[in-house]
Amino acid sequence: MTEDYFSFTNRIFNPSENFDKPEALKGIRVLDLTRIIYGPVVARWLALFGAEVIKVEEPREGDDWRTGTYWAKYWKDSCPYFQSLNPNKYFVGIDLKTKKGKDLVFQLAKISDVVVENYRAGLSEAWGIGYTAVSQINPRIIYISCSGYGQWGPLRFFPSWDLIAQSMSGVARLTGFPGRDGYKLQDYYGDFLPGLLGVVGVLSALNYREKTGEGQYIDMAQAEALMRVMPNWTYMSLLGQDLGLTGSIDPSMAPSGIFKTSDEKFVALAIATDEQFVALAEAMGKIDLATDERFKETFERTKAENAQDIHKLVEEWVRTKGEEEIIDLAKRYAFPAGRVMDDWQITNDDWRRERGSIVEIQDEMYEEGTWALPAAMLHKTPGRIKSLARPLGYHNRYVLKKLLGLSSKEIEKLEKEEVIGYWDNRVGQRPPPFYNIEKDPMFNYEGEGENNGDT
Amino acid sequence: MATRETPQVYSRHLTGKKTTEHLLKFNELLVNMMGDVKNKPEALRDITVVELSHASFAGIITATLLAEFGAEVIKVEPPEGDPARKITPYGTNVNGVGLPFLMESRNKRYITLDLGCEKGRKNLKKLVGAVDVVIDTFKPGLLDSLGIGYRQLSQLNPGLVYVAVSPYGHYTSKAEELSNIPDTDLTAQAESGYTLLFGDPREPEPYNYPLRAGVWAAWYMSAALAVAGTLTALFHKQRCGEGQMVDVATNDAITAWQAFSVVWGFTNEAPRARIGGFDWCLYPYAFFKCKDGYVTVAAGTDSDFRGLLKILGRWDLEDDWRYLFDRIVDNVDKAEELRVELEKITIKYSRDELMRKALDFSAKSAHDKLRSGGYPIIVPTKEPREVLEEKHWKVRKTLVEIDHPIYGKFIIPASVPKMSQTPPRLKWIKCAIGEDNEQVYEKYALSK
Repeated sequence: MTEDYFSFTNRIFNPSENFDKPEALKGIRVLDLTRIIYGPVVARWLALFGAEVIKVEEPREGDDWRTGTYWAKYWKDSCPYFQSLNPNKYFVGIDLKTKKGKDLVFQLAKISDVVVENYRAGLSEAWGIGYTAVSQINPRIIYISCSGYGQWGPLRFFPSWDLIAQSMSGVARLTGFPGRDGYKLQDYYGDFLPGLLGVVGVLSALNYREKTGEGQYIDMAQAEALMRVMPNWTYMSLLGQDLGLTGSIDPSMAPSGIFKTSDEKFVALAIATDEQFVALAEAMGKIDLATDERFKETFERTKAENAQDIHKLVEEWVRTKGEEEIIDLAKRYAFPAGRVMDDWQITNDDWRRERGSIVEIQDEMYEEGTWALPAAMLHKTPGRIKSLARPLGYHNRYVLKKLLGLSSKEIEKLEKEEVIGYWDNRVGQRPPPFYNIEKDPMFNYEGEGENNGDT
Repeated sequence: MATRETPQVYSRHLTGKKTTEHLLKFNELLVNMMGDVKNKPEALRDITVVELSHASFAGIITATLLAEFGAEVIKVEPPEGDPARKITPYGTNVNGVGLPFLMESRNKRYITLDLGCEKGRKNLKKLVGAVDVVIDTFKPGLLDSLGIGYRQLSQLNPGLVYVAVSPYGHYTSKAEELSNIPDTDLTAQAESGYTLLFGDPREPEPYNYPLRAGVWAAWYMSAALAVAGTLTALFHKQRCGEGQMVDVATNDAITAWQAFSVVWGFTNEAPRARIGGFDWCLYPYAFFKCKDGYVTVAAGTDSDFRGLLKILGRWDLEDDWRYLFDRIVDNVDKAEELRVELEKITIKYSRDELMRKALDFSAKSAHDKLRSGGYPIIVPTKEPREVLEEKHWKVRKTLVEIDHPIYGKFIIPASVPKMSQTPPRLKWIKCAIGEDNEQVYEKYALSK
């Protein structure tokens, strides 16, 4: 008797064994010159899957997301949003406006496999730490610049944020009801999706380099990534008109929408295929709908007027059922339906915990917390959170000694010259109040640089 | 061709003769280095992918992205074709092919195999023996029950990377219990907590309901995650020779990557309040009405906000709304007060006038040593049809015009990102069912 499929998959994916498994990107060193969200998430993926990521910040200033927290909400004197984007990284404070600071970063770039930056376009070039300079001393480097519109072309210096890129790409005008004010894509989709496609670019380049030894330059443009996910261009060019706003209806599926249940909750329901429509008709106890000329075939069913008719019928039907009932029917008859989840339900979701996409982490500095991992699970080389973010400059001594071979004396000198530095004594940057940083062996790393002079 | 004019810069670090000259050269270098795509090698040139996606654009897009980076993708369909062919806005299609399918059909080979019969399954096994990646979007466990799931295929090919894409994934008790429920973008958005972040509670019914993000936000995010997972697994395979299973849950894709839901839930022990068009972290960070449409204003930090007030001539508001903490939205009605005040000004100007004001201010601000002026940004909230006309995208060839013998003239977005050595690219568009049967059957010695 072979093992049941789900006992097999539950066994091979068991998240409690993740820390015993190897890491796919072990041995890859990433120099992370990023801030806010868009750049940091590129390095985040690499860090979760085993790369050694060194995040460089400006002393006493740091990544703006450290202090730019929602509702001024801090967690143990750190910004939890920043924490979620910067796990497993080394935190170094170097002032790039000084010549010596630039040199230090340059030395780190020399011994890295990947550089990720999201300064405004052109800035890393202007500072002499751009691709043209780094590739001279490290031809194997994979250098990704993340900007709003790309590093070349007339709009290259134009400012950007998630929402600005959304607006310049047209994606900002796609959410909402016809004739009413629209909505932006929430939670910085304009950072997270482009960042993830940047990850894809870097990983493709790493795969290529593994075979050929060649590095390369990647020009990641936020707005271009958003334009890549829009069907509007194809629709407009073939039909001569915009797709327009459709509320919660996905115009490519009928019925589709977010419906109110008898227990005053909401369910999402969308029918993508004829097979699913038959299943829904059966669940509704109205099997004749499945042979109705208006509905029986997908192309016909999704035509605006027919879609409206079936939408109405489904709306009335859902109103007579509870949320649980709809999900139960979806399960029994096999049509797509889902609950409308909120943040708190998600955070407490047993499924996500069992899956290992929401994990309780016991961190050496910040102790217990609840964090998310990407929804792509690799059973032999799973992603994992080994440590949370650290105060600004926390790894200065460790990184500069171990990787650049500097001595304690040289480090002291750099500190005095304010080339390297640490946190400002404010929330978001400093260690948690209960933590004794003076006794932290990593912060006070005592080993001496071994390869002194190699830099 | 590159022009030798430098666009306006908004940082004092980008000024000075030497820097300006370097940046011009850099621009020219990139035009040459990144512009030529056709004759460059492809990152995944020796990777072969079998796509078994069924009515799932998460699966289709996963394969398309891999194909754009050079993988040979063989899309396997039943003789009647993938139902995804018909998933298209308002039933719009060209010769029976829906628009999203057309848009995501690039660079693939199309073959038919009937996995319901023994011959089809035998052929699949033969095929899989010679490939690197399989993409499965069927009901979890279905292919396994047919003898062609990860367990069986990895026996035939230990280096196989098997990518499963489904609503709840291929493991956990819930995944098993709900394995019958098929995947769509909308249901995945809802289960991800995304739809509850849209819509305005102050609106009348049904406009106050949770709301769908108006693009396939969950399907594209799922696909990007699946590709990142696949490439991570392929990298491991290059080093160690072993393949593995990559499991993507579309219902978790947005939540777990954007992560704010969990961060919020964990620190506040409650869901976020629904706040309509406002933002939970930044203010102003929203659309405003103006004379000829909408502008988007991003001036979230305190210094950016001060700059905005100067631009709009509303310094009188500074006293009450000085700090982000004053402006941040814990009370929608209060947030609305400031919005109304700001809109009183924006409505007097056109989109271009407002953008110009902000850009001029930022250009000046860039030379201020203390940087205290801030960089308030205002841009037109562009309609897609306006974006089509933007010169920048023409220079970068971001939107590609296709003139196809069967499907006619249409536009699709180019591959991202731009890369110097192995750029992802569009090679061909085709999508007839079984179009490549002959060639692929022969190449892999499949039985007809």
